[in-house]
Amino acid sequence: MQIFAQLIVSGISLGMIYAVIAFGYQLTFATSRTLNFGQGEALMLGALVGLTLVGHMNYWLMIPLVLIFGALQGVVVERVAVRPALKNKSEFGWIMGTIALATIFKNVAENIWGRDDLKFPSPLPESPLTFHGIHVLPMEIVVVIGALGMMLAVEIFNRKSIYGKAVVATSNDRDAAGLMGINTRMVITFSYALSSMTAAFAGVLIAPLTLTGATMGVVLGLKAFSVAIIGGLNSGMGVIVGGLLLGIAETTTGFYLSTGYKDVPGLVLLLLVLAIKPAGLFGKTVINKV
Amino acid sequence: MKNSLKTLVAALALCASSATIAAEPIKIGVSGPFTGGSAPMGVSMRDGVKLAAAEINRSGGILGRQIELIERDDQADNSRGIQVTQELINREHVVAALGFINTGVSLAAQRFYQEAKIPVINNVATGSIVTKQFLPPQYPDNYVFRTSANDTIQSAMIVNDAIVKRKFTKVAILADSTNYGQLGREDLEKALAAKGIKPVAEEKFNIKDVDMTAQLLKAKAAGAQAILTYGIGPELAQIANGMEKLGWKVPMIGSWTLSMGNFIDNAGKNGEGARMPQTFIQEPNTPKRKAFITAYQQAYKVDRIPSPVSAAQGYDSMYLLAAAIKQAGSTDGPKIRQALENLRTPVVGVVTTYNHPYTHDNHEAITMNMTVMGEVKDGRVVYADEADLAGPKQVKPHSKK
Repeated sequence: MQIFAQLIVSGISLGMIYAVIAFGYQLTFATSRTLNFGQGEALMLGALVGLTLVGHMNYWLMIPLVLIFGALQGVVVERVAVRPALKNKSEFGWIMGTIALATIFKNVAENIWGRDDLKFPSPLPESPLTFHGIHVLPMEIVVVIGALGMMLAVEIFNRKSIYGKAVVATSNDRDAAGLMGINTRMVITFSYALSSMTAAFAGVLIAPLTLTGATMGVVLGLKAFSVAIIGGLNSGMGVIVGGLLLGIAETTTGFYLSTGYKDVPGLVLLLLVLAIKPAGLFGKTVINKV
Repeated sequence: MKNSLKTLVAALALCASSATIAAEPIKIGVSGPFTGGSAPMGVSMRDGVKLAAAEINRSGGILGRQIELIERDDQADNSRGIQVTQELINREHVVAALGFINTGVSLAAQRFYQEAKIPVINNVATGSIVTKQFLPPQYPDNYVFRTSANDTIQSAMIVNDAIVKRKFTKVAILADSTNYGQLGREDLEKALAAKGIKPVAEEKFNIKDVDMTAQLLKAKAAGAQAILTYGIGPELAQIANGMEKLGWKVPMIGSWTLSMGNFIDNAGKNGEGARMPQTFIQEPNTPKRKAFITAYQQAYKVDRIPSPVSAAQGYDSMYLLAAAIKQAGSTDGPKIRQALENLRTPVVGVVTTYNHPYTHDNHEAITMNMTVMGEVKDGRVVYADEADLAGPKQVKPHSKK
């Protein structure tokens, strides 16, 4: 029982890492029906910029700077890779655009920070806390709280502020929102800034737990993508549940079945969701009227 | 008279200049990953080779000719490895080659050297089958040599440390899912079976995995007293950190990659006490080692050699090759191979003094008794056994089977 509880706890912290990255996919999909396939790289850049800054200042002071960097990086992605495709009504241009940018970011990072994995100093003690024999690292708790807090902040912003309402309006119907005088282009740029900002934030949150390096985003970005698909690309609740499902599935399968197969249940779940409920577990099915 | 003197001088000058033209450099290929996750090994190896080549050139070169190293980055990538190997053979016309860090790259690319009858010395790759790819009767002569401790030796040393020295009876194996990890796991299983032990758990992990909870809990639940590892630096660090997280600390004993800087740095205090087989530890306990360490530190402006084992094995491989070319009196591939297989004079290296290191059927220069266990202590690799600090043991030449 204790082992099971430990697996669940580790699965939750792993799942929240996936969820917070998946959340970023959602933000841009809502406004523009496009995704940044470089989400993993946005996370990696955030973590590496954070690592450089943390050499000169306190961890908590560094976070706002990383958030600003993340937002700017998101604007670059939108302007360079997504806007041209939207302008030309190209269906797939943004896919190649964001993937190309992601590769460029990775290469740039390799040249600046090298290709080795680096240690990110943990702002909290690295010895675990114990509750009834279950071990949790303080940083894991910070990841869970930070991820939930950030998603909550974005939700409140969307519901309460006038700018947030513009975002919601754009995601409901871009053309109608445009006719109502909302600068939908601006809203899309903004959603990319927000999306990369959350990724950069996720990067500095998880970096003390994982290792930090130019390639850290590749696997995480991919797993988060399946979380976004499982949970539904337009449901905030979905990414949390999807993340937890995938995280817990990985740790428990690893233990009870075989560590060689730990990635399989998540992928099976992904295939099932795609076959049975393509909009995701919590996604609203969009009816295309022809 | 005056005229004839002039002619004589002119003739001599002509002779001298034509002599320098004849003494064109001996081209030797050096390939390994100089960028990427394996770069600490590749770069240290290359720098070791360069150091040896510079020393040889300063003392007049081989056969009156200078050595010219042709360096190529294989990026630890199999297809890239094949490309650079073909380039070294067909475009650069190297007479011999040194290198290969990654077992996978070596297995994919070295066949081109074999086909071209160009000797290649693997100075870091450890997969047991690396030197056994081209054996008689299909291949009458094998052109693949090695100066690193292969996985058969390493797994036997790991098992010896865990089972014989420290009397553990329950051990778990954690290996990564690459060729390197899985071939190593097989070697570990064999070595354990030889001691009548079956591992209580055998777990896999992928490159870039961030959570090792499931693997470690399985080992813990099975009652493992030690963890035997086959992986590379970053993931090994995640294992050490994962044990700390679970509040479960048992010794880590694994392949030589536990000496990689990216394990030591990323695991920090959690990596202390990890043990691994080493052919060389940065400790000046012989005159040759002292000279080598000082020369390396001065040439490359470092204190800690990124991968001391790779640097030493690279350095030694250059000297072994030079000795063979000298003995062969030629840069002809088959003649160099024959000379390597029958080196008449001992070669003083950093790892050991090589006394007839190869025979026709044995292309492994390193034997079990040249290898020692290292241990991570205060962020460096030191001798695990005080007795080894005294220096390398007397090494017997190969018995000719």
